[in-house]
Amino acid sequence: MNNTKYIFFSGKGGVGKTTMACATAIHYANEGKKTLIVTTDPASNLADVFETEIGHKITPLLNNLWGMEIDPDKATEEYRERILSPMRAVMPESVMTVLEEQFNSPCTTEIASFDRFVDFMVAEKEGKGEKYDVVIFDTAPTGHTIRLLELPVDWSKHIEESAKGSGNTCIGPVASIQENKAKYDEATRLLGDAEKTTFIFVLQPEEISIYETKRSSMELKEIGIQNIELIINGILPEEVCEHPFFKNRFEMQQKYIKTIEAEFPGKTLRKIYQRDGEIKGVERLLNIEKDLFNNSEKQNYTLEDGEFTKAEFNKFMPDSIEEIIRPNGKTKSIFFTGKGGVGKTVISVISAFKFAKEGYKTLLLTTDPASHIGEVLEQNVTDKIQKIEGVENLWSVIVDQEKATEEYKQRIIEESKSKYSEDMIIAIKEELESPCTEEMAAFDKFMSYVESDDYDFVVFDTAPTGHTLRLLELPFDYSDQVSLMVTTNVKSQKAKSITQKRFDRIIAKMKDPNQSIFAFVVYPESTPVIEAYRAMLDLKDAGIQTQFVVANQVLEPEYCTNEFFIKRRKMQEKYLNEIKEKFQLPVTVMPLLESEIKGMEMIQKASELLFNNKVIV
Amino acid sequence: METKIDEKLIQIEIFDPPMCCPSGLCGPNIDPALLDINEAILKLKKEFDGKVIVERYLLSQQGPKFMQQPEVMSRLQKYGVEILPLTLVDGKVVKEKSYPTFDELLNLLSKSNIA
Repeated sequence: MNNTKYIFFSGKGGVGKTTMACATAIHYANEGKKTLIVTTDPASNLADVFETEIGHKITPLLNNLWGMEIDPDKATEEYRERILSPMRAVMPESVMTVLEEQFNSPCTTEIASFDRFVDFMVAEKEGKGEKYDVVIFDTAPTGHTIRLLELPVDWSKHIEESAKGSGNTCIGPVASIQENKAKYDEATRLLGDAEKTTFIFVLQPEEISIYETKRSSMELKEIGIQNIELIINGILPEEVCEHPFFKNRFEMQQKYIKTIEAEFPGKTLRKIYQRDGEIKGVERLLNIEKDLFNNSEKQNYTLEDGEFTKAEFNKFMPDSIEEIIRPNGKTKSIFFTGKGGVGKTVISVISAFKFAKEGYKTLLLTTDPASHIGEVLEQNVTDKIQKIEGVENLWSVIVDQEKATEEYKQRIIEESKSKYSEDMIIAIKEELESPCTEEMAAFDKFMSYVESDDYDFVVFDTAPTGHTLRLLELPFDYSDQVSLMVTTNVKSQKAKSITQKRFDRIIAKMKDPNQSIFAFVVYPESTPVIEAYRAMLDLKDAGIQTQFVVANQVLEPEYCTNEFFIKRRKMQEKYLNEIKEKFQLPVTVMPLLESEIKGMEMIQKASELLFNNKVIV
Repeated sequence: METKIDEKLIQIEIFDPPMCCPSGLCGPNIDPALLDINEAILKLKKEFDGKVIVERYLLSQQGPKFMQQPEVMSRLQKYGVEILPLTLVDGKVVKEKSYPTFDELLNLLSKSNIA
């Protein structure tokens, strides 16, 4: 009997992880292997690709193929029920209500999702559930996935340390969670077993994607993951690049493909062409599957569909967003969010640059653990606020989870030193080693920037949708948690009231459209639009209005001179109109440029294109 | 002067109100009352090493402990979570709605002839 094979797909947002993971899943299923595809991305597109409902349950997709989207909320609910259901019969209603609320804490949500993920890895050993020959993980964009993979190690360590000390962790007393530790250790062992686990990075032939892959593969090495493969996706076929605009892009890509080959010697490397349309549905996935597994000399770049070949282009008039964004005397915050890889970072940098240039004191910050604002600015950006060279009024900073955690720990220990005994400080240090602290610390740092009024304009380049929505919901969740706090004396009453006021202030600021702007960046393609639209509705539920949409990487008609690009351009037009109709908001356009947006000169050029509406596409 | 060592081990149990962790360090704000009770327990354990057991139970993690203790359950059913934290010495409720201070704990122990 074969052992189950685990295949992880990772990489920067928008590089095609889900497509490659699905094509691989179909491949194994067609070979007769029982295959399960699991996504750990809270904003999953698995269902969109298979054009069916999936959700938080193992759902049959095709013969031999099942799928599941881990939903952090549902995972939390299951986790909560496991613990609370024995109590329901005896505890009064009011007690149960408070307890249920309590499980909304972000730390619990993280543990629950990650527990569910570990279950899929160790299920075989425990003999529960269906036995699969292949389990494929389609993961969230890099930064968050690395965190997910590090957690088994971190928790195992924390449980071990706590056993020596207080015997308590924030997931329960160590005595009762030894089995968790065994499970986490087993998951860590499997991840490091090159016979069983393969880690496939999907990347695009561009500098930022290469940079991120290099960084992640080094971090994976530290966790013990050795078996790494690469897929370069989105390569332009030479035949369709006769126009000088695309010729330049083609050459840029070829240069980066050489870089990749040089940077990752000896790794299995596969190459996939960009297609002339979208990869949706099983038929089109099979088109990718052939190129991934058949070793065919001749690769595909067309899909069997002539839907968009009529040559006449529609005009699309972009709306101006300048007045919506412009600072207004108070500190104004703008949050750019959207699917991974749609260009949030570039749009954030351009916007910060534009208003800094106009004289507004501007802070550009990123909450993405795999941030690359520094690469776009071509300057070193760190977790300390620093001035950007070459532009007046522009400062920049990264919310770095690890650094924030260190700072947070130090602050608490400093504050406690004068008040408590040495034994107590030791106990506090031990508690602070809990992986939950990291969640808390990064959020605390983020909040401190949201409430800061040292700037005219604060631009937030956020992590991909799923994780950003969770971050934005935290003030609401925490505010609820604080209201649940049972104050046992005057001191804690005071602490409660101060915190409550802080959250009220922050929430009011986020809900005020004059002080906070929420905008989505999309590609005019199906999945980024669906994802943004869902997220817009989620924000609306929280009382936050979205104010505009940026459609990025739009092809200009003048260089769409052959069938390949005519089809792509036509597809984009369809979605531009759909965005306008669906969102009922101003929609602006950022055209595709012939090279990457990097360095001040390109940023300047891009800012003119985005804000002056010179483009009519 | 030697006092006769009391062989009896005194058991202090604290039933906490609903919260994320007993240290008070993992929430969005740090509850000073939790740090204080932590400090008091550490001090007590140190001073009366081997004579006293202090246990804390968290409603969200150790529900069964609450359900097994009739004194606690009856109060919870009657008053709801507002009644927490409850402090019990050898199974008898000695304080409700707030945590005992170090001095109060000392006092309770002296009644039980340890201190």
